[in-house]
Amino acid sequence: MSNPSGNHHAPASQGGIGQSVLRKEDALLVTGRGTFSDDRNLPGQAYGAFVRSQHAHGRIVSIDTEAALAMPGVLAVFTGEDLVQAGQQPQPLGVAAPTRDGSPMRWPRWRAMATGKVRHVGEALALVVAETSQQARDAAAAVAVDIEALPTVTTAAEAVGPGAPLVHEDFAGNVALDFHFGDTAAVAEAIASAAHVTTLPIVSNRIVVAAMEPRSSLAEFDAESGRYTLYHACQGAYGSRDVVAHMLGVEPARVRILTGHVGGSFGMKAHPLPEDLCILHAARETSRPVKWTDTRTDSFLSDPHGRDHDMTIELALDEQARFLAIRIGGCGNIGAYMTQGAVFPAAINQMKNTPSVYRTPLLEVNTRCVFTHTAPVGAYRGNGRPEANYYVERVIDTAAAELGIDPVELRRRNHVRPENLPYESAGKQLYDSGDFPGVLDDALKLADWDGFGERRRQSEARGLLRGRGVGQYLEVTGAPGREMGGIRFEPDGTVTMLTGTLDSGQGHASAFTQVLVSHLGIPFDRVRLVQGDSDQLAGGSGTGGSKSLVASGRAFIEASAKVVDAGRQIAAHELEVAAGDVRFLDGRFTVPGTDLGIGLMELAARLHGGLDLPDHLPRTLDVTHLHDGVPSAFPNGCHVAEVEIDPQTGATRVVRYSIVSDFGTVINPMIVAGQSHGGVAQGIGQALMEHALYDEEGQLLAGSFTDYALPRATDIPPMRIGDHPVPARTNPLGAKGCGEAGCAGALTSVMNAMADALRPLGIERIDMPATPQRVWRAIRDARAAAAA
Amino acid sequence: MSTLTVTVNGTARTLDVEDRTMLADLLREQLQLTGTHVGCDTSQCGACTVLINGVPAKSCTILAAAVDGAGIVTIEGLADGDRLHPVQKAFREHHALQCGFCTPGMIMMGVDIIARHGSGLTEQTVREELEGNLCRCTGYQNIVSAILAAARQGATS
Repeated sequence: MSNPSGNHHAPASQGGIGQSVLRKEDALLVTGRGTFSDDRNLPGQAYGAFVRSQHAHGRIVSIDTEAALAMPGVLAVFTGEDLVQAGQQPQPLGVAAPTRDGSPMRWPRWRAMATGKVRHVGEALALVVAETSQQARDAAAAVAVDIEALPTVTTAAEAVGPGAPLVHEDFAGNVALDFHFGDTAAVAEAIASAAHVTTLPIVSNRIVVAAMEPRSSLAEFDAESGRYTLYHACQGAYGSRDVVAHMLGVEPARVRILTGHVGGSFGMKAHPLPEDLCILHAARETSRPVKWTDTRTDSFLSDPHGRDHDMTIELALDEQARFLAIRIGGCGNIGAYMTQGAVFPAAINQMKNTPSVYRTPLLEVNTRCVFTHTAPVGAYRGNGRPEANYYVERVIDTAAAELGIDPVELRRRNHVRPENLPYESAGKQLYDSGDFPGVLDDALKLADWDGFGERRRQSEARGLLRGRGVGQYLEVTGAPGREMGGIRFEPDGTVTMLTGTLDSGQGHASAFTQVLVSHLGIPFDRVRLVQGDSDQLAGGSGTGGSKSLVASGRAFIEASAKVVDAGRQIAAHELEVAAGDVRFLDGRFTVPGTDLGIGLMELAARLHGGLDLPDHLPRTLDVTHLHDGVPSAFPNGCHVAEVEIDPQTGATRVVRYSIVSDFGTVINPMIVAGQSHGGVAQGIGQALMEHALYDEEGQLLAGSFTDYALPRATDIPPMRIGDHPVPARTNPLGAKGCGEAGCAGALTSVMNAMADALRPLGIERIDMPATPQRVWRAIRDARAAAAA
Repeated sequence: MSTLTVTVNGTARTLDVEDRTMLADLLREQLQLTGTHVGCDTSQCGACTVLINGVPAKSCTILAAAVDGAGIVTIEGLADGDRLHPVQKAFREHHALQCGFCTPGMIMMGVDIIARHGSGLTEQTVREELEGNLCRCTGYQNIVSAILAAARQGATS
């Protein structure tokens, strides 16, 4: 079961499903030959630099560009009014959610640059375009902005309070979405009649996504064809194209998106952001390619942030400690504008994910998405899934403590068991597969759960507190929409795969190739993947919600079947047999009982050489396939964390960490282990360190890597990895998706371990991020209370 | 403007640079050596790490004019033709990179860590030595494994 490194290499010549094949892109990336957004340059390009608001809320009195325009090398300065005059549209809404009263969801105008008012520090006010990046930056500093400051509100709790300043005048109470799910009366009845109710106020702290590659755009406008080309990092070139076209007010065919290597995204680069649209406008107006690359300082202020919830979760239990109902309510702080997926973290994904792996018959969700004068909140690894799991796992441990029940036993008593499947959760999700009790058992074994007592004694002997925590989780992946599986047999004997998901470090090129190796027997090294060119895509809903493998995997499997179908007909003609007599196995068409046969690649080569085929036969093996969607999958697992806390300083270390996952069919165990490692590190960061904290005036207090505690190598423990796969029944790969799971397991296990370590001191509540200062204060206050 | 003479990846060059040009910008923009990445503006992330006279340094924080006469090795200068440097090879084999943006800095730092500590390198030492290099993708586990593996193979630059 245990596979500590996750690194078992198979020869690349094989490379089918289930092997830890090395990644195709790494030979480029380890030698510095990658093509990240800022690595591209076009002849004659100019450079852009932004002037950003230093006020969180204010009326724009004037933006004086005269001095900037007179500076060396400056070609133009644009403001929000210029974009409006050019007909640029505000950001479209990506996904609407049902509202409590059934009225259609509304969203405010989010323009690429502010007009009239600014609503968060870092909002773009003007774009300076100059011959060099230095000249552009120098001139940006010379743009004189006069803003009349207005009162600000930065927390959701304050924003919904009486008399709070409004972020958008037409959104009363700053409420963007009032979301409700569930049977209020039935849940109230279950809670009223329960033997025990545990109530836990809980937060999900705001996070700076901090993909290591800052955002960068390079735009070009061809006046002759009226076509825009945007080179930028995103999570799906096809969808990005449509959003850009909508905002520019042109047909999608007049936009091309080109994306090279993406230096991390985690949801943040999911859709085009304001700066992209400004750069496109500038390229048209100046008739020059224009490039902009963000500074890290500006990215802290203007990249969409993640998380930021303030919730209360209630769990009702009967006499046997069986779960009766969960009620969750509170606010998600979505910042100043609605990003395309703004309704997911605090609303839709609470509904879908809160039930997790437990038989809880009733669920009510009462959450509001709330505007504040802070950076807009977008998707961040899990986008509400880790939070929902975190809330429920923390309330389970709290209930266990209140009832004096072993938290592991409480979970076992309430699991959806394999014999219950298929099972419709209280969040209306139909679980198709899984072994939740088995996953828990494996995790406890891998973690040596039973040996904890001795380890705790050793820690105590060194003056340290030690705690352990279980974090079992289930994530409802994003339901993939239309996705493309294109297969093209090239004249040079290689094969190009085309799909609309987009890699930002997940190793799609190898994983998707492995699917093709297994289904078509094409040699691994002959395959190359194309994702980042909207002109070559016939569709695609992009990457996000841990769905790429399920979405593109199904598309390629179905496309492979079409290749085989066409190939069988052509092979039958070549072999002079009936198509019904031809079998396809391991990359070859054969006729059982004879020695007749032809390889798929050889057939492709003959087609390129020119075959004289009758009219009714296909002329090519190339396939452009689109499927209509795949159901969500339910990756799940259990993490076990152990922490040591120094009570003198409050400093915490995660000292043991174990992961057991059910990701269904695993295509490449090495890559999947890496996804777990990274997700856990981000989870530990949120749990113990990271906090994008604003002051009352809307200034970000942790605005650089000097102030913002991004985990470093010493902050993350070695992780043991185990696997308990149960293939999904709802997609042909049997895969479930692994990208976001690490966060779900880490928030829960680490914070349960923190609570376990601190509970003996009488500390009932510890919130994320459990920084040394916060932990030290909790210990000090508990000791003072005990002494009083 | 200043004129400086530097040896970059074994090639001697004489270059005219604006006085305020940072070494990272010189490498990326003037020499098109885009493997050196800039991930922050506070000398924290380490993606821009290069070797200056054999010593790792954050090229985003050093004025190009300050390296006059120096020998500089960037990520593009590590491999011997098609033969990867042992640290590059170890990164690839241990899946020590995901998005690959921090990777050049990590590898340059890894080369230096191994050069200074040799095969006696411990996991804890690697983690402490990576203090100045941030990665958001990997959770560091495989980066640490790769550097340790390269150290065991006696890799020195």
